[in-house]
Amino acid sequence: MTESPIPGAQPGWRLISAADVPFVYELVTLVDPRWWRFSRKGLEPSILLENAQSVAAGVIIHNETGRPVACGVLTDAGASTTGTLEYFARPDERSLSLARQFAPEIIRAAFTGSPIRRLYHERFEGDPDVLGEMANLFEVEVTYPSFAQVAGRLEQRTVSALTRERFSEWAATSTGEAHT
Amino acid sequence: MITTNRIVLRPVLPSDYLRLYAIESDPATALTWRYRGAMPPIEEYEAALWKQTQQIMVVEGRDTGTVVGYLQLHDLDLRAGHGWVSLYSGPEHRGSGLVMEGGLAFTEWAFNEWPIRWLYAHSFEHNVHSFESGIRRGSAVRLGVLRERMLVDGEFTDVHVIGIERERWFASTVRRRFNTLRERENRSSALFNRDTQEYCPREPDKD
Repeated sequence: MTESPIPGAQPGWRLISAADVPFVYELVTLVDPRWWRFSRKGLEPSILLENAQSVAAGVIIHNETGRPVACGVLTDAGASTTGTLEYFARPDERSLSLARQFAPEIIRAAFTGSPIRRLYHERFEGDPDVLGEMANLFEVEVTYPSFAQVAGRLEQRTVSALTRERFSEWAATSTGEAHT
Repeated sequence: MITTNRIVLRPVLPSDYLRLYAIESDPATALTWRYRGAMPPIEEYEAALWKQTQQIMVVEGRDTGTVVGYLQLHDLDLRAGHGWVSLYSGPEHRGSGLVMEGGLAFTEWAFNEWPIRWLYAHSFEHNVHSFESGIRRGSAVRLGVLRERMLVDGEFTDVHVIGIERERWFASTVRRRFNTLRERENRSSALFNRDTQEYCPREPDKD
C-alpha cells in the first residue's frame, strides 16, 4: 500500500505522546540492536516501557503523509545538567534524510527546552548518519572498542559531546533552519 | 572468595550492611559517590545498595577481620558482554592499597565467574591516579574522559572511563604476579598453624 501526501502537508516534527509508543517499539525492532537502551535486554515490550520511563522528552519526525519516520529522545537529564540525545530513523533513505534534515531543530529544541550544558550522543560505528551537518559539532570523548556484536561483528561504540557554547557558536553563524 | 596475604575478598552478608553504610556515609566522599550526599535512611539502604547491582564483594583485612571496603558489579549487560565495577574504600584505609588489592582480586573473580569481555569503571579526576599503574602496565585502558561530566560540591569535574578487557587481563603481568603471590601465600598458609602461630615443617595431618 502506498501513502498519498496530504495536500499542503509538509514533513516536520512534533512532541512525542503516549500514542507514539507502538511506533517507537516498531522503530526499535527495525534498527535492533542499534537502539541499545531498548535492545540490550531483548525486545520484551514491558522492558521497553520500563526503559521509556527514563526519557525526559521526545520528538517524532514525520513525513509529508504524517507518518512517523524517526524519533529523538532526551534521556539521563539530571542534576549535572547534561543529557543524552538518542535519535533513530527507519532504515530507508527517505526517513534517514528527513532525520538529518531536522537534526538541527531537534538539537536546538534540546538546548532551548532544558537547561543542559552538554548534550551527549552515543552511536555504534555502523549506525547510519542521522545528524547530518550537526555530527561534526560533536566531539568524541569515549570509545568503547568491540562493544557489542551487531550482525555478527563486534562494533565499537562512541560517546560524543556537544557543549551549549559550541552549539551557540554554530547557531550564530547558521540560519538553523531545516534544509535538505 | 579470594585470599591474598593481606585481604579476603568475599560476598557481602547482611551483617556487613552497617559497615558499608558507614563507609558510604563518610562526609569526605559522600558527595562523589552514587548518592551524591543524599544517603538513604538505613531502613531503605539494602534496596538502594542492590539497585542495578548483580553482586557485591567486600574486602576484609586479614590482620583485623575488618571490612576495609567493597566492590560492586553492576549494570551487567550480557548482550554486550560487559559489566561495571565501583569501588568504595573506608576512610581509615585509603592509601593503604588494601582496597586496590581487593580490586585485583575482584577483577580476577569477575572474569572467572561472569561471561563478560569488558569490565568498566568510572573514576573522578581526583581518584584516577589509583588506575594509572594498571594503565601504564597495560592491564587497564583509559577509554576516554567525559569532560566536566559531574557536579561535585558545586564544581564540575571530569570523569575518566577505564576499561579492563578479559583477554588483556588474563595475559597481563599484573595478573600473573598477583596469582603467583596468592599461590605462595596459600601454600604458606597451609603450613601455618594459627593456633600455635608456628609454621609446620610438613602438611598438617588430616585427622
